[in-house]
Amino acid sequence: MAVTNGRPGSASPNGRSRTERLLTFLGSVRFAIFLLSFIAATSILGTLIKQQASSEEYVSLFSEQGYAVIHIFGLDDVFHSWWFLLALVLFSLNLILCTVNRFTLFLKNRSSEALPKESYLSTLALTFFCQGTRLEEVQRLCRGYRAVLTSQQGVILEKGRFAQYGVFIIHTSILLILLGGLLGLMLGFKGSLNLPVGESADTITLRGGGEAARRSLDFSIRCVDFRVSFYENGQPKEFLSSLEVVENKRVVLKKDVRVNDPLTHRGISFYQATYGTDAAFEFVIGGKSVLLNEGGTFRQGSLALMVVRYAPSVHDFGPGVQVAYLDNGEPKAIWFLRDVPRLREQTIAGIPVKLERLTQQQYTGLEVTSDPGLWFVWCGFFLLMAGLYINFGFYHRRVYLIPRDNGVMVAGTSRKNREGFKREFERLKERIDA
Amino acid sequence: MRDSPELLLYISLAFYLVASGLYLLSLRQSRVRNWAYYSLLGGFIAHAAAIGVRYSHAGYTPITNMHESLSFLVFCLAGFFIYLKTFYRASILGVIVSPVLSVLLIFAFSFSSEIRPLPPVLRSFWLPIHTIFAFVGNAVFLMGFLVSIIYLVAERHIKNKKSDSILPGLPPLEILDLMNYKCMSLGFPLLTVGIVTGSIWAEYAWGSYWNWDPKETWSLITWIVYAIMVHNRLAIGWRGRKTAYMMILGFTSILVTFVGVSFFVGGLHSYL
Repeated sequence: MAVTNGRPGSASPNGRSRTERLLTFLGSVRFAIFLLSFIAATSILGTLIKQQASSEEYVSLFSEQGYAVIHIFGLDDVFHSWWFLLALVLFSLNLILCTVNRFTLFLKNRSSEALPKESYLSTLALTFFCQGTRLEEVQRLCRGYRAVLTSQQGVILEKGRFAQYGVFIIHTSILLILLGGLLGLMLGFKGSLNLPVGESADTITLRGGGEAARRSLDFSIRCVDFRVSFYENGQPKEFLSSLEVVENKRVVLKKDVRVNDPLTHRGISFYQATYGTDAAFEFVIGGKSVLLNEGGTFRQGSLALMVVRYAPSVHDFGPGVQVAYLDNGEPKAIWFLRDVPRLREQTIAGIPVKLERLTQQQYTGLEVTSDPGLWFVWCGFFLLMAGLYINFGFYHRRVYLIPRDNGVMVAGTSRKNREGFKREFERLKERIDA
Repeated sequence: MRDSPELLLYISLAFYLVASGLYLLSLRQSRVRNWAYYSLLGGFIAHAAAIGVRYSHAGYTPITNMHESLSFLVFCLAGFFIYLKTFYRASILGVIVSPVLSVLLIFAFSFSSEIRPLPPVLRSFWLPIHTIFAFVGNAVFLMGFLVSIIYLVAERHIKNKKSDSILPGLPPLEILDLMNYKCMSLGFPLLTVGIVTGSIWAEYAWGSYWNWDPKETWSLITWIVYAIMVHNRLAIGWRGRKTAYMMILGFTSILVTFVGVSFFVGGLHSYL
């Protein structure tokens, strides 16, 4: 046995180096089962403890000390904690080592086919001796079997050889899915966009990043129309947004996006998630009608203003909208009150501004995601299903034919589906006997 | 006409109940076992009709709430039993399976059976694909669970040398283990396809193929339990009792995924 790291003294008594033993352990089925159990057990914790909630919520649920423990161990976000990711990385490593080991062994066995010893054949449960026949005749009756080895001492026949590849396909597919997941986690993003009808946007709000986490797109998206249809009982049946993708002032893509039918452009997908209404304020600024939401801004020449907030009742004078503006570079704020004529129309920077009306504006709630790992996952899914079909739908079996003085010795073996093979073998025996 | 799916389902329940009674009676008088099977077969046919009529009334695959999914699970279990009986001469299993069918269908009736309009997110062709694979898989594993319990009970009886077991004519342990293997090699791919199709659907509906939502997480836990079982059986060579315990553990996980998450945890999947 070679000592791979070359240092003297690192070889263990049984002649294998530490590295070798470590690799064997890392690629073992036992380690795989340990890791899978660990992932399953911690996933259970992830469904019992509320995930990604606010610290206040945890304190009220588990007390101050309880939250401290939860936070230290990352139990408030199990599936993104370092130790969960580590377990997944170790699992991938295990899968790679285990699959490579098995595959090299598989190839080695393939390249050195030899008839098994008599002592092995006699241990097989499925054997019979048929008297007075020639080997060629028996071989002819083994329909669907292919000869792997033909020699004076005997013949090895096999069937369903490709079923052996199933396990390798399955393991590769799992690795592809994990790789796709990792790519999505590192390079992808998830966000949302509430888009009022008739408006367009080129930035979205990233999920879980608070108000500040925004991301700009390389194009803008416009909501041309939004429609909801209802069932008789008032429950929504379907909602859809007519969206347009605008690049360099040109519409490059149009699509009606509905639940279960997203729009994808440049690897970014828009999903119909929700809808709702926002308070909207129609102003007339210098004779021009402008519709603004809370937080909406308007700029024209020296005039720059922003709607700060809406209040349904301002000092019992009825509903009002607070507007901030720059007065010679100095920020100021004033209230526009709908029911007080003097405060409904005011002059900012010499331009008359009037609060025309308070209205509701419908918006479409879009989920926006980008996931560069998606195709890896899709390929992984396809291979996984194909591999399972091959692995469980078919099986590999062998029949050994050994010529004797007065007949042929027939022995059969299969690692999987032994019962099915037993029946097949019995039918074969009947055919040969007849 | 509005009530016909329900009426058919009650007829099917009646058949299942009669089958349960006859199977029980068949322990003393084996002559009636054929009649018990015909009754179960009648229940299965009525059940198929009930699901068909409900489909045409509702306009969608009726596996969208607790009542419908339990009913469909019962239908799949009955179908899988018929399959097993045809190929493995395992008619004695009917003694256990038919009462389970009856009890689960009665349980299904404890939930509202009203046909409700479908929420937008479920209006997708993935609905039949995902739910049918998931529930056929669940039914196969439910059978594996029942077979495993019988296996453990039978093994215990043999160990205690009580040859006059509660179930005379019980198949030998190897046959039970073989059925367990069959359930594993059918159930595991079906469960996987159920999860994969659900995942693809989630990508189209919610923009993410995996959200770690409780239902998804528990289905992964279930998948891991069965994956461990598959490896123990195929790579390490476990047989008999140990795989029976794994089957029981796996089905417990299915129960949590199917029922527990909907009732106690919530999340994106709680369509009760």
